[in-house]
Amino acid sequence: MSVQLGSLIRTEKNGAANPLRAGLDSSRIAEPCNIVFFGASGDLTKRMLIPAMYNLRLGDILPTNVGIIGFSRSDYTDDQFRAQMREAVDRYSRSGPAKDPLWSDFAQSLSYVSGDFDDPEAYKRLRAALDQNDRERGTQGNRLFYLSTPPSVFGKIVEQLSDAGLGPKDQAHGWSRLIVEKPFGTDLESARALQAEVTKVFEEKHVYRIDHYLGKEPVQDIMALRFANVIFEPIWNRRYVDCIQITAAETVGVEARGGYYESSGALRDMIQNHVINLLALVAMEPPISPAADHIRDEKFKVLSALRPIAPDQVPKFTARGQYGSGLIDGNPVPGYREEPSVDPNSNTETYASVKFFIDNWRWADVPFYLRSGKRLARKYSEIAVLFRPLPHRIFGEGGDQIETNTLVMKIQPEEGVSLRFNAKVPGPRMHIRSVTMDFNYGSGFGVVSAPAYERLIGDAMRGDATLFTRWDAVEAAWEAVTPILNRWQATRAADFPNYLAGSQGPQSADALLVADGREWRKI
Amino acid sequence: MMDVDRSTMHVATMNLVVFVDDPGHREWVVERAQRLAAKHPCRFVLLDASGGTAGVAIDGTRHDVGVANLDAAAIASLAREHTVADVPTILWWNGTGLLESDAFARLVEDAQTVVVDSSGLERGRARIGELGTFLARYPGVVLHDLAFLRLGPWMDMIAQFFDDPALREDLFSISSLRVVSGSEAEAYYLSGWLGSRLSWQPLDANTFSAHGGRTVRVEQEVKGDMRRVLRVVLESDDSTYSAALSDLDPYTVCLSVSGAKAKPTRCAPLQNVDNISLIERALLKNAHDQIFETSLETVRKLLD
Repeated sequence: MSVQLGSLIRTEKNGAANPLRAGLDSSRIAEPCNIVFFGASGDLTKRMLIPAMYNLRLGDILPTNVGIIGFSRSDYTDDQFRAQMREAVDRYSRSGPAKDPLWSDFAQSLSYVSGDFDDPEAYKRLRAALDQNDRERGTQGNRLFYLSTPPSVFGKIVEQLSDAGLGPKDQAHGWSRLIVEKPFGTDLESARALQAEVTKVFEEKHVYRIDHYLGKEPVQDIMALRFANVIFEPIWNRRYVDCIQITAAETVGVEARGGYYESSGALRDMIQNHVINLLALVAMEPPISPAADHIRDEKFKVLSALRPIAPDQVPKFTARGQYGSGLIDGNPVPGYREEPSVDPNSNTETYASVKFFIDNWRWADVPFYLRSGKRLARKYSEIAVLFRPLPHRIFGEGGDQIETNTLVMKIQPEEGVSLRFNAKVPGPRMHIRSVTMDFNYGSGFGVVSAPAYERLIGDAMRGDATLFTRWDAVEAAWEAVTPILNRWQATRAADFPNYLAGSQGPQSADALLVADGREWRKI
Repeated sequence: MMDVDRSTMHVATMNLVVFVDDPGHREWVVERAQRLAAKHPCRFVLLDASGGTAGVAIDGTRHDVGVANLDAAAIASLAREHTVADVPTILWWNGTGLLESDAFARLVEDAQTVVVDSSGLERGRARIGELGTFLARYPGVVLHDLAFLRLGPWMDMIAQFFDDPALREDLFSISSLRVVSGSEAEAYYLSGWLGSRLSWQPLDANTFSAHGGRTVRVEQEVKGDMRRVLRVVLESDDSTYSAALSDLDPYTVCLSVSGAKAKPTRCAPLQNVDNISLIERALLKNAHDQIFETSLETVRKLLD
């Protein structure tokens, strides 16, 4: 061993790796970098992004040399920005209020650039701040730009970055990456236009489209469940699966986001991105490796196999709803049309359900029922795989109901997997009853899952794009929902509001499944 | 391996054999072992020499066996009787003695992995010396010392200094190492780890010989809580590297470099690992840990 170490040291003197690192486990991101948050005075930065960065620091995952720059219109000094961010961490961080000396150390990495998103002078100041971090904080020219802004300014920011010499092509050393918050476009056309603008400056491999749903542990576990076990994949097909139901239910209303939501709606806000991404993960073929592009290739393939819904078929394959007033947790809440900044005659859907088919060998004729809505009975997200009924019943006395097997991947608020199957009730008779086998992340592994933003920002810093959506999948998702969007925009929903706050959703959504001889799982 | 116990079916993927003889330590050990057993399917056999268990009590997969006043052969026989055949056996040894204990010698014969904690013992130095001998005597058994596993975050702190390529060359001009810790094991292991990583050869209990005929002085100071490191200081030709627990937060380490290569002080979170997780790591790591074994070998030579 000593001979080997001796040679290691001789190599080391010539500039090889740190010999003290051998055998040490560390999750720390190796490459130093800067991260620039555009829209730094906004809610997302305060509630999620800076607390995520601070928790990455607490978990010792941030690189040793890191610079964090806030960029927005608000006129802050560096110290004012740091004070604001400390307040945000105190309030929103999962680890509790910021503590010294770690906060003071972290705060040294924070700085701020004030300016309009289309002001070239502001980008010169940003460049100077980045260069300063490279010199003083050793960030080595690596830059991650996070667009936490309305999509309407994405194009402007990218263009200004390029004009200021901050694009990847301008760099003599280091890398530049771009994180884009959803929504990526507001429809197929605008998404394509935005993609054209972005790719003028950033190649696709440098673009990280964030969908925080994909950063949740249970979502990542979908692939582990499917491809790290032998017992599920053989029955994961049309021969055994009756249907798949994907639900993303919220109890919250639109709150202060009425203005945004009026131009969005449930289909754009949830189905086109979060829910369709879940569909892709549950329906895709096994990737040949866990490499980002191998997984994303399979996701794209399955999305491109979504059967297009013809405009005249939209009513048959979809249901939309808008909440009226009702009760949430026993408290009265207003209807959507009474929310701030919402048109009293609004035609915007707060609930959307869609029946998709995937036209490929595995899933032919298996319906995928997707639904998402606000002000529903419970905050709950899950993917339920409902298996076919028994071909021939031999057990069960009298009125025993033999339920079909159901595998449920629970995404939030519970995180885990449950399998419903039938068992004999103890006793002399052959009574059958349904029972559930439950796996819960918290108790199963004794750890609390890190919030999705921590995982995703860390991945982007590492250059791991696995959990980010590639353009071809975004485009395929827009193609899938565009006929529905067009039809819903062109026709007023005469029955809005058509479900009570705190309910299971509109009756028309129930009818969508009843017509197929099925029913939704209860929210 | 299925283990049918009347109406209940249990699965055991390993035997977790826990020996304890100190009545004051018994509850601490049992509580942790029970939590591990609840998480990992295993047969948990408590060999209780503390006097806290009389006879045998079986509750599901947990078998409590009173072994106070029994001789080593009887203890080993009872252990064999209560373990499941054909699955690996992990011995978590919490006995007062080690190599001089006949019970230990007998139990090791049936174990694939042995877990000990040499930190916080009155005879910490002697225990580490014994572990060095253990490696030579039982080359087929995987050994883990929680005292070494516990130092992982401190090793990472020290390594962080030299992640910076501009400072890395200083690794080859270190002239002294000073460790302030609450018990001896930490200081020995950090010395052994650095010495083995950098090919230092022990000259005596306080000195290494490094490349080019240099000597490295080792100083230890016992201060503070047991099992806790307070400060590690390395001196090179022209700079001093200090990693010290913050006065404000016991989970933060302040890293400073002074002298010719001075750097601003940085703070880094100390990722302390709780005892259960340490034991769990030891249980799940069923292969020889080369870094630990070479560090231990270096310590053994240092103490010889």
